[in-house]
Amino acid sequence: MNVWGAVAGGFVGTLVLTTALSTAGELGLTRMDLPFLLGTIVTADRARAKALGYIMHFVVGLLFAMVYLGIFSAIGRSGWWLGAAFGLAHGLFAGTALVNVLLPVIHPRMGTPSSAAAERPLLEPPGFMMLNYGRRTPLATILAHVAYGTIVGGFISLG
Amino acid sequence: MRAGGYTPLREYAAVGDGRTVALIASDGSLDWLCLPDLDSPSAFGAILDAEKGGSFSLAPEPPFTTTRRYLPDTNVLETTFATEQGAVRVTDAMLLPSSGLSPSRELARRVEGLAGSVPMRWRVEPRFQYGGRGPRIARHGSRPVATGGNDALAVSSWGAGDPVLDKSSISGCFAAAPGHVAMLVLSAAHQEPLVFPSRTEVEVRLQETIAFWRQWTADRTYAGPWRDAVIRSALALKLLIHSPSGAIAAAATASLPEQIGGERNWDYRFCWVRDSAFTLHALMQLGCPREGDSFFWWLLHASQLTHPRLRVLYRLNGGERAPESTLRLAGYRGSIPVRVGNGAAGQEQLDIYGDLMQSAWTYSVAAGGLDSDTGRRLAQIADLVCELWRQPDSGIWEVRSEPLHFTHSKIMCWVALDRAVRLAEDGQIPPAHAANWRAQAEAICAFVDERCWSEEVRSYVRSPDSREVDASLLLGALMDYPARRDPLMTATIAAIRRELGHGPLLDRYAGEDGLAGGEGAFLCCSFWLVDALARARRIDEATELMEQLLALANDVGLYSEEVDQDSGEFLGNLPQGLVHLALINAAVSVSKGPRA
Repeated sequence: MNVWGAVAGGFVGTLVLTTALSTAGELGLTRMDLPFLLGTIVTADRARAKALGYIMHFVVGLLFAMVYLGIFSAIGRSGWWLGAAFGLAHGLFAGTALVNVLLPVIHPRMGTPSSAAAERPLLEPPGFMMLNYGRRTPLATILAHVAYGTIVGGFISLG
Repeated sequence: MRAGGYTPLREYAAVGDGRTVALIASDGSLDWLCLPDLDSPSAFGAILDAEKGGSFSLAPEPPFTTTRRYLPDTNVLETTFATEQGAVRVTDAMLLPSSGLSPSRELARRVEGLAGSVPMRWRVEPRFQYGGRGPRIARHGSRPVATGGNDALAVSSWGAGDPVLDKSSISGCFAAAPGHVAMLVLSAAHQEPLVFPSRTEVEVRLQETIAFWRQWTADRTYAGPWRDAVIRSALALKLLIHSPSGAIAAAATASLPEQIGGERNWDYRFCWVRDSAFTLHALMQLGCPREGDSFFWWLLHASQLTHPRLRVLYRLNGGERAPESTLRLAGYRGSIPVRVGNGAAGQEQLDIYGDLMQSAWTYSVAAGGLDSDTGRRLAQIADLVCELWRQPDSGIWEVRSEPLHFTHSKIMCWVALDRAVRLAEDGQIPPAHAANWRAQAEAICAFVDERCWSEEVRSYVRSPDSREVDASLLLGALMDYPARRDPLMTATIAAIRRELGHGPLLDRYAGEDGLAGGEGAFLCCSFWLVDALARARRIDEATELMEQLLALANDVGLYSEEVDQDSGEFLGNLPQGLVHLALINAAVSVSKGPRA
């Protein structure tokens, strides 16, 4: 287990996660678009938001890989299967708290369930498990995060 | 005034906070409130079932008469009750949250004695889940609270007598005299603990809410004729804007009948793509660019899942499913079934592509352009229209009979392709397929001229080879359907007034729609007629008709979807966004005067 394994795993894992969600969007499974949601924190231009969002998502992906590494080191175990379990928990956390609750609070262009008449957000809030973005969003998001966790866990155990 | 527990729909005024809307009758009874959001199940639904629906009554005990108004430039309602013992003023508002900890939804009813000593009585009878779940009522600490499932309502009162709790209600009585100000507050919570406000906090939030609405109104830029009616319509629209997402509900209610005792009872608490073109135009004309931005972004985001196809309507949170079901409620004056959800969501309606592209054009002009991602998506939608326009559909009126080749749908497909060409020429969307869009637009024109014009009726007709006129064809004039056909459009306007008119009112159509019974006159069609007359440079006629229509509003300036052709009674859901949008756009067209 070392940092470079986490960096490599975080990079490849985020690549797969982003691609999986993007593919799910193209297939009409979900309106979830993490780079877009992240990018619109800093710009209202849709095209620029997506480009910046990809970069931000990779940074977030690398940070989460470091968290995985920290926990693996603390418990003294690692592996792709443990990474998959972390990915499952990570996906659930993203759907129930990270994107559902925390992102609308810090996002200057996203509404929250308590947005009232004085506010005019540009983005609808994701809702519990991001269900506002389509009924299959929880499935797509969790599977993509399990894939991410599996890759990060695998790379870290190789490092 | 009430018959069988129901008051005429004309007696309702609306208050809201950008998340939900309460309807309060002129006799002081709050008969409709969905919590936490406009499209959530009702907690007060007496308008749909006087016995089971639930209400919050507040009125003098002795007989009374009322006068009402909105506080100027606000969505805060003021009702003055006059009795033989004296007079009382009630101020109703959904409060906007303040910077501190405030209830997630909060409705305040402030009672002020004006003269004499007036015995007042109030009763809160919530019935959660459209009356399907009786409340559990108990004191939590010192506050009476009603709970049902994940919902809770606290009733806070100051100077309004000691609350009396029983199995199904919280009630009280007190005397209102000059110098006495009582306050009754409903605070709601959904899947979270209740927040109990203090009286001082409520008074501050009420003043802040009034100040917000006045500032919002002051920021509007409309300076044309009938400003009071236009601003009231803008404020009504603002009530229908779902602030968390930017979506705009078609109306605040569900299943209010289009014919008393009839089956035409629909849930309008969704956002229709069809309304988008009118919405964007109205928001831009009123000087609401932020609401316009918010709505256009929502529209693009909501429609992404089915892109390039569009759903007819979307939920306010962007969801695409709106399954229709029937509630076991008595219905407004026995009008059943009481429906929630809307089966039209699954219909094919081709005109919505024209509405979306017109919205994009309006937005592009106002915002100074579109981003490349949006442009690419719009081009794909234009390509789809080239494939779809030859198909039959359910049309603008969402008929439940067999799909037809509706003339209006074809015209709106032309609008879609025409705006696509304009956007391409403006460099806003990829122009690679523009030649095909032009060719298909010409083909649509040829189809409409050859198949949808009746020499016998001297009008465009509802569908090819039909003899029926249809008020939706007025939209051809509003959407700049080719100018060279002006004489045909002029003849069509005359035919619509002749065949569908009742004084200032218009029916939508006279043909088959797959449903039993009739309906009232469709108010937005009359405002479209004003708009069409103004665009045809017939300003005097347009002005006269507009004056007649403005006289049909209720005492606080609101409209429902329809009006009974004979009695003038309100019918259908209210306040109805499309009617208020049409009013605004008609006023704008008249204000621009004769065009060159």
